[in-house]
Amino acid sequence: MTRYKRQDPEITRRKFINVAVGTTAAVGGVSLLSTLGTANPVFILTPDKMPPLKGDILVHAGGDTEGQPVRISELSTKLVRAWPMGKDKQGQSVIRKGDPNNLLVVYRFPQGQLVPPTNIQATIEGQTVAYSDICTHAGCSVGDNDQGPGMKCPCHSGQYDPTHGCIVIGGPPPRKLAQLPIAAQGENIVVTDFFLTMPYPYIHESEWEAFKKTVEEQLT
Amino acid sequence: MNQWLDERLHLSRLNDKFLRKAFPVHHSFFLGEITLFSLIILILTGILLALAYEPSNSMIVNSFDPGTADKPNLIPAAYHSALKINAMPFGDMLRRIHHWTANIMIAAAVVHMMRIYFTGAFKKPREINWWIGLLLLIFAVFTAVTGYALPYDNYAYNTLKVIYGIVASIPWVGEWVSQAAFAGRFPGEGIIPRVYGYHIMLLPAILIALTGAHLLIMIKQKHTQPQYAKRIAYKKIVGVPLLTQQTPIMLLLALLFAAIIVLFSAFIPVHPVEFFGPPSTTPINNIKPDWYLLWVFGALAIIPSFEFNFLGGVIGSEFTGAMILPTIIVLALFAVPMLDRSRENMYYAENPTNHPVRLAAGIAFLALLIVWSVAGYKPELISANILTTANANTILWIATFLVPALAYFATLGIVRGIRALRESDERDRAAFSHADD
Ligand code: FES
Repeated sequence: MTRYKRQDPEITRRKFINVAVGTTAAVGGVSLLSTLGTANPVFILTPDKMPPLKGDILVHAGGDTEGQPVRISELSTKLVRAWPMGKDKQGQSVIRKGDPNNLLVVYRFPQGQLVPPTNIQATIEGQTVAYSDICTHAGCSVGDNDQGPGMKCPCHSGQYDPTHGCIVIGGPPPRKLAQLPIAAQGENIVVTDFFLTMPYPYIHESEWEAFKKTVEEQLT
Repeated sequence: MNQWLDERLHLSRLNDKFLRKAFPVHHSFFLGEITLFSLIILILTGILLALAYEPSNSMIVNSFDPGTADKPNLIPAAYHSALKINAMPFGDMLRRIHHWTANIMIAAAVVHMMRIYFTGAFKKPREINWWIGLLLLIFAVFTAVTGYALPYDNYAYNTLKVIYGIVASIPWVGEWVSQAAFAGRFPGEGIIPRVYGYHIMLLPAILIALTGAHLLIMIKQKHTQPQYAKRIAYKKIVGVPLLTQQTPIMLLLALLFAAIIVLFSAFIPVHPVEFFGPPSTTPINNIKPDWYLLWVFGALAIIPSFEFNFLGGVIGSEFTGAMILPTIIVLALFAVPMLDRSRENMYYAENPTNHPVRLAAGIAFLALLIVWSVAGYKPELISANILTTANANTILWIATFLVPALAYFATLGIVRGIRALRESDERDRAAFSHADD
């Protein structure tokens, strides 16, 4: 140990190295952060990723009949999964399954069973009704309830009542499933407008509204 | 030749420093080794699997069942390559060994950690290694989860979707973070290449680096000494050297362990991709994560639905159940070494019954995780008529508090009983030894 500290007029080696290392680390850190931008690719809204749109026809989403129109007469109180099918710019049919959150579910209940908060105007004759099939909790596809009436989400047992506008009747989901307004076109089902409320994965009304706007802009 | 090498590589120093490291003789000290062997088996089988796997989720024609010309049977390339691996000689076996070993690695790590906790081996100076160990466990779980996403079957697809949803539920930044983590909106074209990168590059690199640090620190600090060492030679390191005594034991253990895994894999299938099928709109009924994440899943299942706005961010049950809750649990584990205030370095593994509160707290903690894991079986409990839809949540919530509390006090009671017995034993012995004189 030296008793006297040497007074060095110039900066010490240690100080220089510390500052140099600090600056390098800071610059390096910032430039590394900028590469994070590449991690998140740009989202391009293609027709197969658009939400169900006015004029789309509902087609079966699974099984042997996949891609064929859902017929009103084959529906029942058991759920049937469907995709919206629309047209792209060239007029080719395109099934909008590029976004799995477009999955729909269709039911036909006996007259009088569908009650508010279901929007009866948006159903076919107060019997046939369509909802988003994506659980508002974590986005699983909701199925028939094997333990009672209604629907049950296989992921964390969220339960919905499709006769009451798909309100949550059990489990963790925060919101009801969005209802899709539909009309009959012969035996087929056509979509008449956007979802009535915001579907999964939106959590802010404003984001859903903004998304609808982008879609409309791209269509015109 | 030895001398030639020694003059260049200083082998004798290496020998003194590392190869003669003393290993305590006690079976519970093998748990960490089993974890290490698992990692090695995982890397070896993983390399073989990577040679045959195609990391892409673009749709291609299924060569096993091509469909017809106008309606081809399209499946994701990753899923297709998983089918192909299954069709290779011993391919299915390879996948099973990889998967089984992953499960066993996490199990061994958990039990290893329990050993450290209950014997107080996390105390000064070994706090850093406790933290590194925890990081290892956390990253091992991440690696496992990204691993079962890779076959891109229906199970993987649903799992990924839920994970994406959970990440997206972070207030304010969730959307951006999950898109950055999974290459765009779910399921982006790049999701499988991205997860593949995580699973074979990023996470294994982290695991290997952490394992290296873990082992180096352990060699530097030495194992805690088992109690018998105190009696043999106080404050001296007792044990068998790595070379040549411990090595044959290790090899034996590694071979036995590998044999058990192969046996398991031969008879118990894991993740049967053909059964789950390619990604589809039909959900898998009662889909569940692996056992080590079941508690998070269970907590999510019983947490009531709520949602509120906080400074423009939405905080919901999902974020709370799947992010905040596990974070609290993990933080509690990180805090463990901080609860011990002793200044002295710890030499000897402690007898758990001499630290009843620590023992009881640990058991209560495990009981809590078990209750939540059982809650993960809520739908099954309901269909088995043990619970009803109406009372399931209430009962499981009561159990969440009651069972750990019961476990805590029961442990304290039992420990007190054991100590009373031990003391009366000693009194007897004292009395008799007197008679001997
Ligand atoms: S995703 Fe449906 S209940 Fe959690």
